[in-house]
Amino acid sequence: MTQVSDRPPISVVRAWWGLIRCFPGLYSLTMALRIFVFVGIFQATGLIIRFYFDSLSGSAPLAWGPNAWAAVMLAVALLRNGLIFTDMYVFFRWTFSTAATMRKNLLEHILSRPGARALPSSTGEAISRFREDADEVGNYTVWAVFLLATGIFGAVALITMARINLRVTVFAFMPLLLVVAVANLARARVQQYREANRSAAGDVTGFIGEMFEHVQAVQVAGAEESMLAQFEGLNESRRKNALRDRLFNEVLNSTFHNVASVGMGLILLLAGAALRDGSFTIGDFSLFAYYMTFVTNMINTIGVFFARWKQAGVSIDRMERLLQGAQPTALVRKTPIHLSGPLPPAQEGSHVGTEPLQTLTVSGLTYRFPDSEKGIVDVDLRLERGSFTVVTGRIGAGKTTLLRVLLGLLPPESGTVHWNGRLIHEPATFFVPPVSAYIAQTPSLFSESLRENILLGLDADDGEVAQAVRAAALESDLEQFENGLETVVGPRGVRLSGGQRQRAAAARMFIRQAALLVCDDLSSALDVETEQQLWERLFARQDATYLVVSHRRPLLRRADQIVVFKSGRVEDVGRLEPLLERCAEMRSLWEGRVLEEDE
Amino acid sequence: MRPTLQLYWRLLVRYLRPQLGQTLLLLLILCINILLQLINPLIMRRFLDSALAGGAMELLTRLALLFIGIAAVQQVASVGSTVLAENVGWRATNALRRDLARHCLRLDLTFHQQHTPGEMIERIDGDINALTRFFAQLVVQLFGNGLLLIGVLAVLLREDLRVGAAMGTFAVITLLVLGRLRNLAVPHWQRSREASARFFGFVEERLAGTEDIRASNARAFTLFRFHQLLRTFWRTTIRAELLGFSMINIAWFLFSVGGAVAFVMGASLYFSGALTIGTVYLIFHYANLISQPIERIAQEFEQFQRAGAGIARIQELFATESRLAETPAAVGEGEFAQGRAGPAGALAVEFEQVRFAYPTDAPPEETTAGLGQFALDGFQLRLEPNEVLGLLGRTGSGKTTLARLLLRLYDVDSGRVLVAGRDVRRWPLQQLRAQVGMVTQNVQLFQASIRDNLTFFDRSVPDARIWEAIDTLGLTEWYASLGDGLDAQLQIGSGGLSVGESQLVAFTRIFLRNPGVIVLDEASSRLDPATEAFLERAVTRLLSSRTGILIAHRLSTVQRADRIVIVENGEIREQGARGALAADPASHYYRLLQLGIEDMGVEELGMEELSAGEPDR
Repeated sequence: MTQVSDRPPISVVRAWWGLIRCFPGLYSLTMALRIFVFVGIFQATGLIIRFYFDSLSGSAPLAWGPNAWAAVMLAVALLRNGLIFTDMYVFFRWTFSTAATMRKNLLEHILSRPGARALPSSTGEAISRFREDADEVGNYTVWAVFLLATGIFGAVALITMARINLRVTVFAFMPLLLVVAVANLARARVQQYREANRSAAGDVTGFIGEMFEHVQAVQVAGAEESMLAQFEGLNESRRKNALRDRLFNEVLNSTFHNVASVGMGLILLLAGAALRDGSFTIGDFSLFAYYMTFVTNMINTIGVFFARWKQAGVSIDRMERLLQGAQPTALVRKTPIHLSGPLPPAQEGSHVGTEPLQTLTVSGLTYRFPDSEKGIVDVDLRLERGSFTVVTGRIGAGKTTLLRVLLGLLPPESGTVHWNGRLIHEPATFFVPPVSAYIAQTPSLFSESLRENILLGLDADDGEVAQAVRAAALESDLEQFENGLETVVGPRGVRLSGGQRQRAAAARMFIRQAALLVCDDLSSALDVETEQQLWERLFARQDATYLVVSHRRPLLRRADQIVVFKSGRVEDVGRLEPLLERCAEMRSLWEGRVLEEDE
Repeated sequence: MRPTLQLYWRLLVRYLRPQLGQTLLLLLILCINILLQLINPLIMRRFLDSALAGGAMELLTRLALLFIGIAAVQQVASVGSTVLAENVGWRATNALRRDLARHCLRLDLTFHQQHTPGEMIERIDGDINALTRFFAQLVVQLFGNGLLLIGVLAVLLREDLRVGAAMGTFAVITLLVLGRLRNLAVPHWQRSREASARFFGFVEERLAGTEDIRASNARAFTLFRFHQLLRTFWRTTIRAELLGFSMINIAWFLFSVGGAVAFVMGASLYFSGALTIGTVYLIFHYANLISQPIERIAQEFEQFQRAGAGIARIQELFATESRLAETPAAVGEGEFAQGRAGPAGALAVEFEQVRFAYPTDAPPEETTAGLGQFALDGFQLRLEPNEVLGLLGRTGSGKTTLARLLLRLYDVDSGRVLVAGRDVRRWPLQQLRAQVGMVTQNVQLFQASIRDNLTFFDRSVPDARIWEAIDTLGLTEWYASLGDGLDAQLQIGSGGLSVGESQLVAFTRIFLRNPGVIVLDEASSRLDPATEAFLERAVTRLLSSRTGILIAHRLSTVQRADRIVIVENGEIREQGARGALAADPASHYYRLLQLGIEDMGVEELGMEELSAGEPDR
């Protein structure tokens, strides 16, 4: 089973390469456009300025007057605008697509994890990874293009300047290189600050998510102000982190800018004599000044690039933690994102070649929650076709855990599950409809219509839906809904009552026509009559096998076998009467009181 | 909704006023920064003219060194202003975040049922993040660059009136064009942000429902919806991005026009002998220099557009009013105005001719989604202080609605709900909710320490009080088993507390608050009988000096009730003393008892009814 491994994280370069492989055309296009703009257009602009000033002082190589150069400059500017606009589209398409690819890969991977343990942290925190970190990595790849384009531009500029005046070039641009080296060393701390900043931001979003997820509890408790105080504290800590991050970056950036001004001053110092004797024209001076800003930008770009590199590293690291030990390249796996054209089908490929259930055997199943004593230990269980099994026990005894581990929603530590004597290697992919269907204790609904919540992409006609709704004893509620099945149930189904949610989940289970029905305390949100109705309809299904967690006496009486859980272990198995005679735990559960000597 | 300048201004004044000192310091540093930026080109002009005229080397060297020195000081000022602006921005937006969060927390449940937590993250954090830049950069960029622009034009006018006038005209035209385009992209940004909120809201909700998605084999469907929303997200975003970018593009072209104008004018004035070549270079340099502030101002307009979309959405959120507006009378009255009143002991509760239907309004995509909840109509019920009422009824019969009305999560349409003889609408909301406590079946826990979960992050509650409550409940051992005492972190989801255990936390929460009325809404439905029994003593203790409403569909839960009320379709079907009803074979309660699980003597009957539809086996 999947374990969180200590695999080294995917490197930034590999992630970059992975993304390029996803969209090679887009990336080459953005690179080609940018290089052309920098090397073609921006070089030309510098030369036009130089020719203009030289045409003033009469030392121009071409006989064109200053007005002609003004006209050329406008023409070049028009061309530049057209190119940059195209470049922007490609750029946005690239950053959006790469971020979308990572987001999809993350979601797909999380959905393939054991369902009950899919996330290592709160959903609010996970969302911050989906939102900011995916963008960060996408942006970083663009800076790489910037770096290349400005690098080529810088090389051309240096050669041009060296040919005009080697001495000025060397002395004015030398200190730049030195400062770059020093400043880039200092950027090692960027990652540290960035990480702190990001995690403070994650705390804020995580808290907002929880605050509004649990808004009813907060309101009922009248705890708005204490929640806000906590929120303010988190905001304040984020401000401090953001400020430190910003100050550090700003000092570095400013160092680069300062170097440009100093460089400009050095040009003045060195070129003074040459300007006096006419070996260095005013046109040459204007070209040097023009290049100076560009070369500074280039150096700045290098700096930003390395900062982004490290930030991207932080982001990749955080996203990988969501992947919890998958193949490191899973994050940038090539996958279609369907920004246009027909969408892929909404239905999973059907389960093929599963023989009908005869016996389901569980042996030695063990699962312990990390950092806690809890879980289940060494559980044996046998379900016969058409039988009705009730799992019972007090809270925290491990009943829900058993269901989850059996269905592959939690990864077992040890133990096996056999279907008709055949070993099931991957319960998570095996125990899905039509083999089994499951209703969790608190089922999740999504803010879609009731119909969509029941179908979840299943292809079924109205008749089948109506049947499932009836089977789930939901039809009288449905009559009350103005929009019937099209009723939108609100975020996480909050517009339905607890019982309605559970029965909607039951309808979701029924419509899947599964052979093995697994219910976790189906009745806890239902009243006696509704529950009775529901069970009647459940039992009306021929040939189904049931595994149910419940404390209800009628169900315990009806059970073909009762599995009594205590502290994560099976205490006893059997029909009700013999259990009541021989099992003290069963007696105390049945009578609804805890015997002193038991505890 | 088109955000006006006035709206920006109001926001700015409101959130910058508390930091007047810092803001003024920021402005001062900015002015120094701008002054230095204006001076350096003048030095360069002097240098060029002296050098070309064959001036003394010593003078040239001094000018060059002065140039370097001023540049260095200017950089320091620049760092200072950026960091200060960032600080001001964060403080302002944090205050805004707090205000918005407070507003939203107070909105009634109708609002929250229409907005996912993911969407709230996007609205409170995402939208305001866009504003952070607005606050951080607005002062620096708009004020600073505006000043720089004016300074450059002033210097140019002093050099040559014609050049100054031409450059001034150019600057005004450029700004006007850009200003015209300002609001073009706002609606697009708004749409883009909405699509983004829906997209991330979707992802958040699915991440919280992985168990059901897996077990229902709905991965392909989830990805299908993911792609649908992603596509909308892309289409709205690219439209907004490109529109915003067109503006910058237009600005760039206009600068080239400005540069060309400077070229042409400079050349003609130079040839006529009005200007030195150093001054031509100065004009060219300043023409570039003003393109910088204009571009920044244009960029700021673009940020305005983004922020505008955010502000519009924030404004919309602020404008959403709770249906539970506090009546002035409630706030004014003395006895309630002084903080939380101490335990007032058991309070009477009365429902007087209550009529209520759940609101059916919703955002456009959900407008027709009237959920057919049972409306209460003419509902009448009175509880004396200390009375414990068992409220029975089918799911959706209106039991929970009564509890919600009592806590004023909704307001009645007509009639009155009275607590201690006072209409709940006339209670200050905080007071009411301090006096009426409720435990629901879904306990909402935070990923935080036990202490924070019990006190809702209220750090002023002393540990001793918390332990006392735990002791009273007889849960000391259970809490101790979590390790780390009150500092133990609760893990949400699997590996953490079971649903039943969460109930224990909820019980402790309510013990701590010590209300006069307690509503247990199916509170024990998730507990196994053994654990339920374990809580008996505590519940007894809790109800002993309080008025209690036990909402249940499990009959064992209402065993401690003095009186039973059975609700159906929003009306009372039957009520009476519990003992009397249980003894009356004609009562509905009696029939429920037979059906249910209480009495060993009638189990055969219960079984028969329950297995009515069972196939022969």
